[in-house]
Amino acid sequence: MITILSIVLLVLLLLVGRSRGFKTFITFYLSIFLIMLYLLLMKAGLNPIILAIVICMLAALSILFIINGINIKTKTSFISIMIVLIFIFTLIFIIVKRGNIQGFSVESIETIGGYSYDIGVDMIDVMIGMYLICIIGTVIDTSISISSAMNEVLENNQHLDSKELFKSGMNVGRDIMATTINTLYFAIVSNFIGFFLWHRGSSFEFIINYKAFAQEVIQLLISFIGSIMIIPLTAYISSKTLKSKKILYFLKNKN
Amino acid sequence: MSKNLKIKIIVLLLFSLISIIFVYNDHFLYKTSILKVTEVKNETKKSTMFRETYYNQIIKGIIKNGKYKGQEVTVENIVAKTGVYGEIVRKGNELLVETSKDGTEIIEISGVKRDKYLVILFVLFIDSLILVAGKKGFKTLISFIVNIGISALAIFIFQKKFNTLNLLSLYMGVSILFIVLSLFITNKRDRKTASAIISAIVSLFISFGLSFLLIKLYGKDISIWTMEYIEAVYEYENFFYVTILLCGLGAIMDIAITISSSLNELIEKDPNITKAALIKSGREISKDIVGTMINVMLYACYTPIVPLVFIAIKNDMSLTNALSLYGEVDLVAVFTSSISIVLAIPISLYVAVLILKPSKKEVLG
Repeated sequence: MITILSIVLLVLLLLVGRSRGFKTFITFYLSIFLIMLYLLLMKAGLNPIILAIVICMLAALSILFIINGINIKTKTSFISIMIVLIFIFTLIFIIVKRGNIQGFSVESIETIGGYSYDIGVDMIDVMIGMYLICIIGTVIDTSISISSAMNEVLENNQHLDSKELFKSGMNVGRDIMATTINTLYFAIVSNFIGFFLWHRGSSFEFIINYKAFAQEVIQLLISFIGSIMIIPLTAYISSKTLKSKKILYFLKNKN
Repeated sequence: MSKNLKIKIIVLLLFSLISIIFVYNDHFLYKTSILKVTEVKNETKKSTMFRETYYNQIIKGIIKNGKYKGQEVTVENIVAKTGVYGEIVRKGNELLVETSKDGTEIIEISGVKRDKYLVILFVLFIDSLILVAGKKGFKTLISFIVNIGISALAIFIFQKKFNTLNLLSLYMGVSILFIVLSLFITNKRDRKTASAIISAIVSLFISFGLSFLLIKLYGKDISIWTMEYIEAVYEYENFFYVTILLCGLGAIMDIAITISSSLNELIEKDPNITKAALIKSGREISKDIVGTMINVMLYACYTPIVPLVFIAIKNDMSLTNALSLYGEVDLVAVFTSSISIVLAIPISLYVAVLILKPSKKEVLG
């Protein structure tokens, strides 16, 4: 089944996106591979949180530098991604720890009931790691789109100062943000239908405090926050670095 | 800093503070009793029967609301040490509990009060949205709320008419409602939006038809029964199809509106632009967003299987088996939505050109 879907997707991507489509396909499989690697290394006993951060960095490195090449755009993106990652990590760490977000709820008891719960690591750490990896895809792509667009704007209008450049980066970012939020909403909410059918008749106060509900809502909101935060960061850092690169270039040519 | 921005920040700050203070003190709204934990004693035990190490927790706390407000109670809680299932209670937690008739004993811990964390994140989301995107952010927020409203309505209808309605046909209707309402509310009511709506509906049904066909032909062995909440519905297969239908819906809508508004802009700038030129620039624009959306889809839909697959492989299941058992449904959904994303581009382009740039004969006639 998966093989057939892969072939259909690859053919469509090649038809619609040509070489860019092929790159997307490679990134897609690279990401699946990274998620598998995460699971295997975690099983081998590495700390889930540190491992998740390493996997996020690997994802950023590979998507940015292999697919888009090593240049000022991708370097800028990498720095902004790391800053967002640190912020989101702090946020998730506090929320998961204080809100008891880890683990499974009653409806999963049949699935996990047959397994031993002595898995050697704290579920809190697994949960935090999962959330970090969840958001990284969105953050990387938003960031690289903004810095590429800004680079293009600068190339076409060399006279722009860094303030104007920042503005145009923010404009591109806002467009991406609106679409990302819509896409994410449906992707995550499609899992909610079953939840509400299962809990039909439950009170509002029960649902809003329920673990499985909180887990999904937190994933949604964290992804939103990450994909919004990356916009001003990338725009700001790019407006500084791109401009200084031009200055350096100008100075070099003069001599 | 401009005056406008200052006012915005002050209003947002006030709104955030009020919401957070409110949710930290909303005990009076609850019918369930809430226990504020003041002391926890943990005793580690190794169970022979259940194969795991667990905590035997003795919890002391004060009831915060209702008839027994202020009463001190003690309760015992048994929970696996790794926290796979159940609640590991810590000092300072607020628990939702069921008390005995006289309020001196606790029969059951039914959950943890988590509403405050959701509100904190929601407030952060709104603040960042408005600060970063201003008016556009406000629009996005409204379309987000509209979408939540429609989702709630669909679930409400289904809960009521649970036995008589076909799940798949209900949600096909609902997705058309989503497309029409959410695009009309967030955009101007003009040709451009109409074109986006038609593109989105056509793309949705063509791509869903393709996925449906592929799954019918090759997907007989997909482990649908491992889907979460599957026991809540009678129509297993339709439940799976609805997930697939909805998963890519947002992305399809976004592609439709992005393409139709950018083509519209191009036509406004140069009314004599040729169809071929329109299609060419439309393709350039869409190339940029496809990669992003597919990646968003993958990480958002596939990563949540991590905890379950991890427990399975820690229990000596092989990774391949665990992934095909617990991850296949999600992966299929990722693939079919990615296929819809890619398909939506040529369809939206074609529809947009057809509607926004009628051939000369029509204009004359």
